[in-house]
Amino acid sequence: MDLLGFARGPALKVALAVFCLGVTWRIVGFVLLRIRREFNQPRASILKYLTGGLIAVGSRSWPHKEFIGRTGAGEALGYSYHLGLFAVVLLFGPHIVFLGALAGVTWPGLPSGLITILSVLTLSLFLAVLFRRITNRVMRMLSNFDDYFSWFVTMLVLVTGLAATAHLGAPYETLLGLHILSFDVLLIWFPFGKLMHAFYIFPSRAINGALLARKGATS
Amino acid sequence: MIQKNAALLGDILLNAGISRRSFIKFCTAAASAMALPPGMGLVMAEQLRQAPRPSVVYMSFQECTGCLESLTRSFAPTIESLIFDVISLDYDDTLMAAAGDAAEAARTKAMHDNFGKYVLVVDGSVPTGAGGAYCTAGGRSSVDILREASKGAAAIVCVGTCSAFGGIPFADPNPTDAWPVSAIVGDKPIINVSGCPPIPEVITGTLLQFITTGKVPDLDEHRRPKSFFGTTIHDRCYRRPFYDQGKFAKSFDDEGARNGWCLFELGCKGPTTYNACATIKWNGGTSFPIESGHNCLGCSEPGFWDKGSFYAPLSAPAWGKSGESAPLQILELGAGAAAAGAVLGVAAAGVSRLHQHHSEHSTDITPKGEN
Amino acid sequence: MSDPTGAFAADQAPAEVARTPESRVKGAMRGFAQEIGALSAFRLESCIHCGICADACHYYIATEDPQYTPIWKVEPFKQAYKRESSPFAPLFKLLGLKREVTADQLAQWQHLLFDSCNMCGRCSLICPMGIDVSALIEQARHAMFDAGLAPKELYRKAAHQRETGQPEASAEPYRDQLLGIGARFGVAIPMDKSDAEVMLCVPRTDIENYPSAVAALARVMQHLGVSCTFRSDGLVAENYGYFAGGKAWQRDISLRLINQAIACNAKTLLVPECGHAYTALRWEAADLYGKPLPFQVRHVTEFLAEQLSAGRLQLAKAATGKTTFHDPCQLVRKGGVTDAPRTLMHAMGIELHELENHGGFSFCCGGGGGVIDIERASPLRYRTMEIKLREIDDTGAETFLTSCSDCRRTFDDAQAHFSWNKAPHSLLELVADNLSPAGARP
Repeated sequence: MDLLGFARGPALKVALAVFCLGVTWRIVGFVLLRIRREFNQPRASILKYLTGGLIAVGSRSWPHKEFIGRTGAGEALGYSYHLGLFAVVLLFGPHIVFLGALAGVTWPGLPSGLITILSVLTLSLFLAVLFRRITNRVMRMLSNFDDYFSWFVTMLVLVTGLAATAHLGAPYETLLGLHILSFDVLLIWFPFGKLMHAFYIFPSRAINGALLARKGATS
Repeated sequence: MIQKNAALLGDILLNAGISRRSFIKFCTAAASAMALPPGMGLVMAEQLRQAPRPSVVYMSFQECTGCLESLTRSFAPTIESLIFDVISLDYDDTLMAAAGDAAEAARTKAMHDNFGKYVLVVDGSVPTGAGGAYCTAGGRSSVDILREASKGAAAIVCVGTCSAFGGIPFADPNPTDAWPVSAIVGDKPIINVSGCPPIPEVITGTLLQFITTGKVPDLDEHRRPKSFFGTTIHDRCYRRPFYDQGKFAKSFDDEGARNGWCLFELGCKGPTTYNACATIKWNGGTSFPIESGHNCLGCSEPGFWDKGSFYAPLSAPAWGKSGESAPLQILELGAGAAAAGAVLGVAAAGVSRLHQHHSEHSTDITPKGEN
Repeated sequence: MSDPTGAFAADQAPAEVARTPESRVKGAMRGFAQEIGALSAFRLESCIHCGICADACHYYIATEDPQYTPIWKVEPFKQAYKRESSPFAPLFKLLGLKREVTADQLAQWQHLLFDSCNMCGRCSLICPMGIDVSALIEQARHAMFDAGLAPKELYRKAAHQRETGQPEASAEPYRDQLLGIGARFGVAIPMDKSDAEVMLCVPRTDIENYPSAVAALARVMQHLGVSCTFRSDGLVAENYGYFAGGKAWQRDISLRLINQAIACNAKTLLVPECGHAYTALRWEAADLYGKPLPFQVRHVTEFLAEQLSAGRLQLAKAATGKTTFHDPCQLVRKGGVTDAPRTLMHAMGIELHELENHGGFSFCCGGGGGVIDIERASPLRYRTMEIKLREIDDTGAETFLTSCSDCRRTFDDAQAHFSWNKAPHSLLELVADNLSPAGARP
């Protein structure tokens, strides 16, 4: 079996299995910890409580105006590479074919040339966020192996993907194999590191927003 | 057709009424097919004229004769006659007039007379199952014949994917235990001209290249001449711009297909297939599969028959048998893994809670407990 | 057993008592393990190390020192969570991916969890993952308490309050002091009535520093004609158990008030101008009590605003000129009492000039979370206060109001330290001074 066949065959299968196993393990493993009942009297009605949660899901996507001055640029950088990544992952024809085969549906994409430009932009943003993580004293202090490895794995997928479309460095099928293989690695790493925030972000915002709304507090 | 090979090629050609001019034309065409510099045609012509006429033994094992069909449909001007004039095709059980003992005698004689100098051309895979009984000639198994014939060969040219990589007989479950030539013969230079079938110009070009230079040409990791197998179909495909624009045909008769858009999503293996189809094309440069609206099957690649559906896109996950629903398989796989994960999660949470329970009971600070 | 409550006398700070590093770590881990529920686990799980919370924290803004990043303040507990309680804890442990928390580490974090955190909750508003960082810090304080690492001032006051009901001994019991304040200000102090609509309590800060605020509370209640009473066994609103991180102590201290409110059949427990008392009683007491409280808990500004909108209270115009208001974190950001003080100020026709960061985004005065009581924390506290003082100055206000005695004390302290030209005033006192007689109904 050649590299490509391995990457999109058995390796992908194992990676998807590890992904599903790890994600469920991790989520079930903390959700089943004790949940304390709140006995205090809520200020807001259940309805306000729930809408508060929903609002927070959207409103936390951008800092409150009081915080923009200090964090706006950093958050914009963070979100922009995420957006670039989503565009490249979800709107590139061959990706749609891949994901479509997994999901059973397909959707329209963007021209490959545009995707290449977006990938290069995203890659530069990736380098920028790494630079920021290393130079910003707060981020450097907080960072651990997880942060750097998650960055590396994601970047690896991006770089091998770019190399494959540009036919750089090795035959196409080797690069495509490496690209899919690096995606397999990402899937395997996913449940064990910070990439899990993809699952956490909205529920976390919603729960915090709802709890604050319950108290009538600012969220 | 069968002549003594003592005379020089140039003389034989002149005797056959072929002018120097038309021979140079042939060589130039061959050189350009091999992507050699234009000047090489002239050099080749000169060298060929000086070369003794080499003996070629053509053996067919477990095959469909498609490769030979392809070879005899070589469209280059007068190439058919030329190729049979240039070389001394001493044995080819399909083409030769002789049969039975006479044919076998011709083979033995050619191999004996040209020991160490003849070119062995093989098409078809070599079945080894049942003691080689699946493919025999004159009562001998193809394994035996190949082993014997390879002894005196200067080089072996494997024509077609079967002899080069095992091909369809080699495909899972390989009932005849078939193998490519390279698995049987280890001590001779092997040049693979893969394809199912190979492009006729690629076969003749490769032979010419070897005869002209007397050397094995530059080969890729699958022992294919780089001059013909150096780039992918996708790299040279005239539909490539549509790939770059993200314009894909979604079925064989949709608007995209009619507009000639890229066939990637229909399973085209062009990006991973190394061959000259997109440049030399077929039927005298008339067309090639993608041009006629069908995706490339990747027939010149090892194991092409076992790489999933011809119609599954390259970037699609490749598991299970074609026809089974991938989402369904993923659901099954994912659900199984998730169930295992849930068990582990429940266990982890249980251990943590147990720990919590213990610590609470061992140290609970009650309002009036102490002082 | 290394139970800190049993092992040490109330006047001993456990940090000063010799305890083996192992017992400290064990204590911290035990306290921590008890705290870890699904919710806090989710919070710890969600952090992506973006460091954005630093930009909400006045300690970081004032110093630009990365160690003051809010989420960093719970780092040892994040580490402990991964190793001890997370779904992958066995992997972390077996592969040695997360080290055990050490006693040194805990000692080092005392500065971060107590001296440099007001538990103001501003960081909880900035987190893009929606993590309530301040909730984690509160839980980390619980673990620090169990490790015997609560700062001595907080520990002593908490221990004393738990035993006697008063955070500190006083020459004259608070009950008598209260009655004395009533006599001095000419207002009746309802005390130990067996049956009352509303149970009152006071910040001990007011007894000691702002007796006029105590009188104002009595006067306003008298004016409203609501049946109310103080109870001598449950006078103090503050809860040093909350500050020190002694959860059981916090419960005991809250129980005094809860029991007294039940004893006098109160329908409302009125929290005076004290921010963290509101958090402790309004939001945390019932959970520690283990069932819903049989009465409602209201902050005095909330209560007065309710009276106002019910037409039972009318206020005269107050001549305060240009006025600004400091929102106490525990009331506004963490408590949701945002509109009530503004309703009262509006009713008095006050020309309110909001601070640059106001309402839910208000910066802490710097004294919250018990920090005002931690002596060694003062130099750092003064540095962070400059942000707030500058904001107040920038409004150009002549009058500066707030509705929390601890904030008031912190600002008064700043006035002395910086020779600052502004003094904080109590909103309650202002209301008491501007009661409109027509509004009072029996």
